[in-house]
Amino acid sequence: MKRRHFLTGAAGAALLSTLPVGSIRAFAQSASGVITYGQSTAVLTLDPAHGAFTGYPGGYEAALLIFDRLLDFDDDMTIVPQLAKAFTMSDDLQSCEIKLRSGVTFHDGTPCDAAAIKFNIERMMNKEINTTNRPLWNPISGAEVVDETTVVIRTSAPFAQLPNTLAHGSGAIVSPAAIEKFGEDGFAQNPVGAGPYMVQAFNPGQELTLTAFDSYWGEKPGASGVVFKFIAEPATRINAITTGAVDVIDSVPVQLVGQLEGSADVEVVRKPGLRPIGLAMNLTRPALADVKVRQALNLAVPVATIAEKVFFGFAKAPDSPLAFDAIGHKSVGETVFDQEQAKALLAEAGYTAGSDGMLAKDGAKLTLSLFAPDGLFPGDVSVAEIVAASLKQIGVDAQITKVEKGAYWDHLRQDKANLAWDMAMFGFNPSNASGTYHLASLFKSNADDEGKPDVWNIGRYRNAAVDELLNVADSAPEESARLEALGKAQELVWADAPYLWLQINENVSAVRNQVAGVTVMPIVFTNLRNAAKA
Amino acid sequence: MIGFLAKRFATIPLVVLGVVTILFIIFKSVPGDEAAFVAGATATQAEIEAVRVQLGLDRPLLEQYAKHVSGLVVGDFGYSTTFRGNPLPHVLNRLPATLALASAAILLTIVVGIPAGVVAAAYRNRLPDYLISLSVVGLLAIPNFWLGMILIAWLSVGLGLLPSFGASGPASLVIPTIALAARLIALLARMTRGVVIEELRKDYVRTARAKGLSKRLALRRHVLRNVMIPTVTVIGLQAGYLLGGSVVIERLFAWPGIGDLLLTAVSVRDYTLVQAIVLIFVVSFLVINIAVEVIYRFVNPRLRYA
Repeated sequence: MKRRHFLTGAAGAALLSTLPVGSIRAFAQSASGVITYGQSTAVLTLDPAHGAFTGYPGGYEAALLIFDRLLDFDDDMTIVPQLAKAFTMSDDLQSCEIKLRSGVTFHDGTPCDAAAIKFNIERMMNKEINTTNRPLWNPISGAEVVDETTVVIRTSAPFAQLPNTLAHGSGAIVSPAAIEKFGEDGFAQNPVGAGPYMVQAFNPGQELTLTAFDSYWGEKPGASGVVFKFIAEPATRINAITTGAVDVIDSVPVQLVGQLEGSADVEVVRKPGLRPIGLAMNLTRPALADVKVRQALNLAVPVATIAEKVFFGFAKAPDSPLAFDAIGHKSVGETVFDQEQAKALLAEAGYTAGSDGMLAKDGAKLTLSLFAPDGLFPGDVSVAEIVAASLKQIGVDAQITKVEKGAYWDHLRQDKANLAWDMAMFGFNPSNASGTYHLASLFKSNADDEGKPDVWNIGRYRNAAVDELLNVADSAPEESARLEALGKAQELVWADAPYLWLQINENVSAVRNQVAGVTVMPIVFTNLRNAAKA
Repeated sequence: MIGFLAKRFATIPLVVLGVVTILFIIFKSVPGDEAAFVAGATATQAEIEAVRVQLGLDRPLLEQYAKHVSGLVVGDFGYSTTFRGNPLPHVLNRLPATLALASAAILLTIVVGIPAGVVAAAYRNRLPDYLISLSVVGLLAIPNFWLGMILIAWLSVGLGLLPSFGASGPASLVIPTIALAARLIALLARMTRGVVIEELRKDYVRTARAKGLSKRLALRRHVLRNVMIPTVTVIGLQAGYLLGGSVVIERLFAWPGIGDLLLTAVSVRDYTLVQAIVLIFVVSFLVINIAVEVIYRFVNPRLRYA
């Protein structure tokens, strides 16, 4: 061999030996009857316990097809039956009786009966096995088998959100036999459920191939298979759906929606999310402890304009601390942009403008430190800059600190003594859709305001009336009484303005025309469970 | 040769231990609480503490370090939260895709870069030279991900000739390879042109021409051999850049290699997985360097008898 051929030969051999074995499928069109979904987040694990379906929301979206749950959410987050035919809450809200469908089997052929349900409930109750979603599962105290198709689930205290927990993604019912076979650590890569699709091949973080489960108890799946492909880059997802290499994509950036809206083959699907974004105010600061100041800050920011201009209309101004589709949401107010009124309120609170136009009280300037993450919430940095500029117009000096997203939660959940921020951007996504859960997570008084917050009450909001109402909303026997209490709580929180309320973003996905039945749920999930392909 | 290789390979564990130590220090000092991240956004403080104990993050640092290093010795990279166990098999599973992309890029670089440089030198200061030099400046200036996007828009979305993402056979290798290799091709062409021009001025070429060899034959028989020496050096030095560049390119093309997995691991704070991938990168880099030295001895006889 001549020397100068040696190099190319070696490199060529190396190349041929390592070529990935691709699928034989032509790339221009995905196979007929198989729906290909280009996901913005990777599916890494498929187990409702041990951290629950990472990454979020990719794993949950796949789980919707592989697993059935006792109860389900429809498109508007109303709770509907799935494996449970009937569901009866006791009058004291401390137990519920579940009537199961009979003859349901898991993908491995084992029966999905009352014993399997008991196994699942107990597995999720176990704090060692199920480390996440604890607020949803902690209230449950046990499950007992009455007969083959009847289970009773008990809670240690009245728990009106039990249906929400069972309908939540982590309520996915897994095959006890598969847990036995693959072990607690192995199941996440070898998931077995009773849903309409079963796993054919799983390459975590890359590709998940599902195939229709012929013995599914319900309506036959609308596709012969579904392939989830992880495509992190938004531009790459858009190219993939444009060329027809995939049928569905999620998380279309609002500034790129225009590229798709002109296409005859692709339809854009949008749905307002459940996560209202806002700036939590640190109520341990004297200036922000004054409700007039907080209301003034809310009046100073043009929230409707932010929704319209920054998010191209793919966002809405809120009318409550809860998002529009949260269960129990009540319209309790509106965001008003009125800087004159804001200045008047600040004057009432004792602030006067200095020669430079900036406000001060007792010689101390009204300077606020505003924390925002970079890339954690939609348009977070841009929105923070608009807020700071708007506050400057009424004489409030807001200084932005940009925080790397991995470190952001730590800055928020600090002991009182270590809170570095006066205002911090935050948004909570109640994945069980319960307004009570959402409001309690953010606004229920902390047990101890000096330490770290119990859940997400990071601003140390404290209102005994709200606490009482949330208690009623969680435990009153009558649904109407629960909803009324939750509505009142929303009114009180809105009036107290512990947040500078910002926008509620829409989730935007896109679907090619030959695929029908893809929905975007308010909880961020793009749902292909009922999708069909011609 | 055997002794030389043995000596070189013996240094790998030492370098790896250094890297492991540095990574450990970095991961322990970055802001952000790993346990809080793993427990998720809705976790209460009590749950975060439970996760901390579960991941062994509550143990003294030295103990964590010792456990970590002793595990690596037997190929146990620790508990990856992503894969619920040792991440090594999953990383190795993805390595071929990255190697395919990197070797294709090196192959393309050699096949295009060297001839372009030789042609530019042979036609020095005439039209072909100007065209090639202009392309070189352009390719050096374009960021690889941007070139990738342009190529997708043109070849894939526009003409429908090639897949726009993923790894589904040789066709899907074309665009990412070009995007990854562009800068390297330009570097190599520019360097080859300079070396050839310099060699053409040397005495041995004049002697060869005086003996009646044509310019073309003098180039082929004598000059190219000497050009190989600096060329191999440049390719070797740049192979490391290819590994780094592949991270960006893999993400853009959703290419199922370890670069893409690295970014996923970072986004879910799976430090165990990040570390496994970084170590694979480090070992690959060291092995490439050894390979370059071997090839170097092959093309440069003077080293063999040194």
